Amino acid sequence: MSLLEVSGLSVTFGGLAALKNVSFSLEDREIVGLIGPNGAGKTTLFNCLSGFQAPDEGTMRFRGTVLERRSPDRIAALGLARTFQTSRIFRRMSVLDHVLIGLHRHQRAGFWAAVARPAWVAAEEAAARRRALELLALFEDRLLPRMDDFADSLSYANRRRLEIARALATGPTLLLLDEPTAGMNPHESAGIVRLIQAIRDLGVTVFLIEHDMKVMMNASDRIVVLDHGEKIAEGRPDEIRRDENVVAAYMGRRGARA
Amino acid sequence: MALYAFVPRRENRLLWGGALAAALLVPAVLRSEYVLNTAVLAGIYVILAASLNITNGYTGLFSFGHAAFYGIGAYTAAILATRLGWGFALTLPAAGVVAALFGAALALITLRLSGIFLALVTIGFQEITFLVTLNWIALTRGPMGIPGVPPPALGGYEFRGNTGYYYLILALDVLTLFVVARVVTSRVGRAFVAIREDELAAQASGLPTFRLKVLAFVIATFFAGLAGAFFAHHARFVSADSFRLDETFIILTMLIVGGLGSFLGPIVGAVALVILPEVSRVLAEYRGVVYGLVLIAVILFRPEGVAGVPGIIQPRGLLARARPAREPVA
Repeated sequence: MSLLEVSGLSVTFGGLAALKNVSFSLEDREIVGLIGPNGAGKTTLFNCLSGFQAPDEGTMRFRGTVLERRSPDRIAALGLARTFQTSRIFRRMSVLDHVLIGLHRHQRAGFWAAVARPAWVAAEEAAARRRALELLALFEDRLLPRMDDFADSLSYANRRRLEIARALATGPTLLLLDEPTAGMNPHESAGIVRLIQAIRDLGVTVFLIEHDMKVMMNASDRIVVLDHGEKIAEGRPDEIRRDENVVAAYMGRRGARA
Repeated sequence: MALYAFVPRRENRLLWGGALAAALLVPAVLRSEYVLNTAVLAGIYVILAASLNITNGYTGLFSFGHAAFYGIGAYTAAILATRLGWGFALTLPAAGVVAALFGAALALITLRLSGIFLALVTIGFQEITFLVTLNWIALTRGPMGIPGVPPPALGGYEFRGNTGYYYLILALDVLTLFVVARVVTSRVGRAFVAIREDELAAQASGLPTFRLKVLAFVIATFFAGLAGAFFAHHARFVSADSFRLDETFIILTMLIVGGLGSFLGPIVGAVALVILPEVSRVLAEYRGVVYGLVLIAVILFRPEGVAGVPGIIQPRGLLARARPAREPVA
């Protein structure tokens, strides 16, 4: 059984088909890229998988569990986490608090425990803090020294890193990254490639949307290509690079459509 | 860090211990019935503003129905005390629970909405509550109100006179602020703030946002109900006029002037805006003008509130030009 099986997924926005009959699957510990020209339906696919968009047709099974009609928080609780294309940080919360929010679902203290604050609550909070520091350490010296700063004081690249840290804190087995290197320089992008590989080595499958072809070709084991909502190709990076449909989709088609 | 600035915790126990000691000494030092009566009023508003801060300040849910829950608590206490002869020890928690039940019901119905839509529905709830209390004469005696509520008594001790009332409301303030402090510095409070900052991202991070928002509403309305019970037993009389939309705006103004989403904010706001009209009494008919000018000045020059967290409100439009954005404080 695959980690994620998507079959016949379709989404229509008022007559415009954002996704048409898309099927693919992801395996354990894979890094899979999702590419396609602007408007190809990449983010719509992510929104379906994470519960922010209800598909009109099709099925999505994650570790055997049906994802349709499940709220985003329940999908996150199943172990499917995501980041967003435009950064969605909690501006007036500290870097450390972002990671603790990701760890929220692994803690138990509710209202009464918060008020009475028995010893186990303090122990739970201390454990979460230690775990948060471990996660921040994955980002070398980018986030850890700034852990008490408000997130809106971070640079653009660090905000993207922070979003990955928050998503990782939820303890996913599948992580969806929507353009993690957007706005980064080549040096920073290379760092993200190393990070993605380190995340995979933790046992996490990574599914990423990326426009930087260098990042895509270096990081991915496999690539899925969407164009106008349809899957037009799927394969290893070197296969995708030579695929006629993919070249046509990016460069424009020559002559009549087949 | 700034978000939790001024919240009572081990590091600042001297500060809060000192403040509590000063509050305990007020009746001994200021032997004035007038001052004590004003202080009791401020004490009620501290509970109302601090509880409203849970929804409107920390969780970012704009409720305009707080006075309705205050009124539901007051009527619950008045009815139970006058018809069933319940003592304050029972009417107080009952008022909180009934207000919280209404809060939960309203939350379950409306929290799929957000922003301006939520605000409008809570205003509607506010008006409906007023009309029901005014017209359900069998239960509330309608426009006649409910007189003859006994003064608060606990375990055979009857609180009489302003000194007694003062210590009772001070105890309720301490209880409310203790719970608020514990909640906002917990995992639950952190989740509230995340919902305020970006609800979608909070949900994507695994927070059960709907349940958390209902919880925020329940906590806020429970304490509004407690304040209502105290009001009923203190004023000895309740009527629908005391809990109208303008009362909600008074509470909200205190919260905004003090500082939305700041622990100290509602305390400072409530005390300042109860005292301000009293000290400006000499100005007679210009009193309202002074009140208005103070509000405008705070919103223009310190939009995060007098005791707010700097940087917590991002000035927009005209305000952004009037006042450059500050660097966030770590």
